[in-house]
Amino acid sequence: MTLRLGDHCGLELARLGEHDGRIWVLDGDLGDSNGAARFAERHPERFVMAGIAEQTMVSVAAGMAGCGRRPWVFSFAAFLCCRAYDQIRVCLSQANQPVTLVGSHSGGCASRNGRSHAALNDLSLMTSLPNMTVWAPADPADVRLAVGSILREDRPAYVRLPRRTVDALPGSPARCRWLTDPAPVALLGTGLGTHFAVAAAAELTRRAQPVGVLHCPHVVPLPHAELTTLLGDVEHLFTVEDHYPAGGLGSLLQDAHVTPQLTAIGWPAHWTGQSGDDEDLLTAHRLDPHSLADRVLAALADPPPSRPSSQRQPV
Amino acid sequence: MRSLPDGLSDAPKVQATDNPSLSDEADALRRDLIEALYASGGGHYGGSLSVIDALLVLYRRILRVAPAVPRHPDRDRFILSKGHAAIALYAVLRRVGFFTDPLSGYAQAGSRLEGHPDMTVLPGVDFSTGSLGQGLAVGLGMAMALRDADRHVWVVLGDGECQEGQVWETAMLASRCRVGNLHAVIDVNGFQECAWPAPHPPGTPPVDDLAQRWESFGWRVWNVDGHDYRRLCRVFAAATTVSACPTAVLARSRKGKGFPLIEADPLRFHCTTVTDEEHAVLLGSLR
Repeated sequence: MTLRLGDHCGLELARLGEHDGRIWVLDGDLGDSNGAARFAERHPERFVMAGIAEQTMVSVAAGMAGCGRRPWVFSFAAFLCCRAYDQIRVCLSQANQPVTLVGSHSGGCASRNGRSHAALNDLSLMTSLPNMTVWAPADPADVRLAVGSILREDRPAYVRLPRRTVDALPGSPARCRWLTDPAPVALLGTGLGTHFAVAAAAELTRRAQPVGVLHCPHVVPLPHAELTTLLGDVEHLFTVEDHYPAGGLGSLLQDAHVTPQLTAIGWPAHWTGQSGDDEDLLTAHRLDPHSLADRVLAALADPPPSRPSSQRQPV
Repeated sequence: MRSLPDGLSDAPKVQATDNPSLSDEADALRRDLIEALYASGGGHYGGSLSVIDALLVLYRRILRVAPAVPRHPDRDRFILSKGHAAIALYAVLRRVGFFTDPLSGYAQAGSRLEGHPDMTVLPGVDFSTGSLGQGLAVGLGMAMALRDADRHVWVVLGDGECQEGQVWETAMLASRCRVGNLHAVIDVNGFQECAWPAPHPPGTPPVDDLAQRWESFGWRVWNVDGHDYRRLCRVFAAATTVSACPTAVLARSRKGKGFPLIEADPLRFHCTTVTDEEHAVLLGSLR
């Protein structure tokens, strides 16, 4: 059975928890779906079933962090980020408490659950909060990298995970890396969006338009130095994400001024989510491999005006 | 005062050097508070004056803390969830020795005395507050983390704050988790910022039947005069002996206690500035 990334996160925390008693896990009654149960099975004494009470769950974790613990709070991204946003703002961001939020079932692929369970702007909410580190892992190795990195820091963090299971990406995990050989036209993804990008790149290759694929699971702080180096020869970059382009990776890259041509692709700004199979939803909103290839080719044929070179800011 | 844990034995005890009575000390604190608000441009007179006696009792008689080592890991924890009464907390923390910053800097740029308590800048503040309803849950997390260490966590809420849904989420979870080292003190002064309009009768309290509500959520509840030092001491001490459930002390208080001008108009003095003449009247009310 293939595990979700939430399960991998729970398992990694359970493994590290064998030797790190600071690690606690709290769950909002979704532990069987979001991976928290993996920790609870191994460390019931440091697991808190907080009930369907996301606001209190986040604040409780903040209190634990204030006493030297390293709590990890699991729920669906939509409920964790939106229901408890004021608690995250005040108790985690402003108070700078090292609580990690693990939001599973993020993005637009909400399956039969539909729009109330979709999280289409969670990156926007979390990346705009001071002190917050944000990761969007795309495979189990990314999850392990993120968990280890977060535990070495002393600040709040958000880990954005998809509902669906994913294949391992090629190469070794890093904050940002090429998954292919570098190329002048490149797709840059984070989280599940990287898998969209990989599929689109295969389709573009079939259409004789070679593109490279980059993956950036470390969303905030954006790894500027690595990106500047990795994107050195890229002429046109497409960000592909399981999120609205506004406020997500696309916006962050635009603000970073690290590439001359940038096209940001994500779920349509007017779309609020809906029930349905992932592939049907992706096709309906032009995020399937064929549609993405069409969009890339169209943009290459009619590129937006280049940003003046003076706006490219060295980091 | 209860005995200090081993880890705090070398720290200076929280006792005034001249050991004044709590009553005398409360008078001095009220002067500090009135002068600080006047000097700094106003603030929450009413709710600060209703809660300051409970804060004084906690810091002088109950909490095991060490002002010289504000982050001592073995200390009891305190959260002012009704963070708008920050000036009352600051007056007490300063008096017991956590810092010497002038209270007149309250809410001024450059001062550590933020408008609402900020743990990132001021020694003695165990957690930041200001957005109502969150402090009790933070306290629950602290109580869970410190339960095996026999540390107690005290959270002071307002009665108006009990309108926040998160308070009751937390009340339910704390009871279910049987967190006996968590203690809520509700400053029941009977008012919030705005009065409830008709058809609610004049004097409608922020929350009806508070005792029954807390009891129904599984908390052990005491009612006590929020300005009676002896009874506050006795009830707080009793709360620390309960291990099977969290405890709530309903401290029945007067908004603006000690100042007839404020007590007579609690809505206006919820958060306000005062004129020079009114300030003089307030000073004249001090013993």
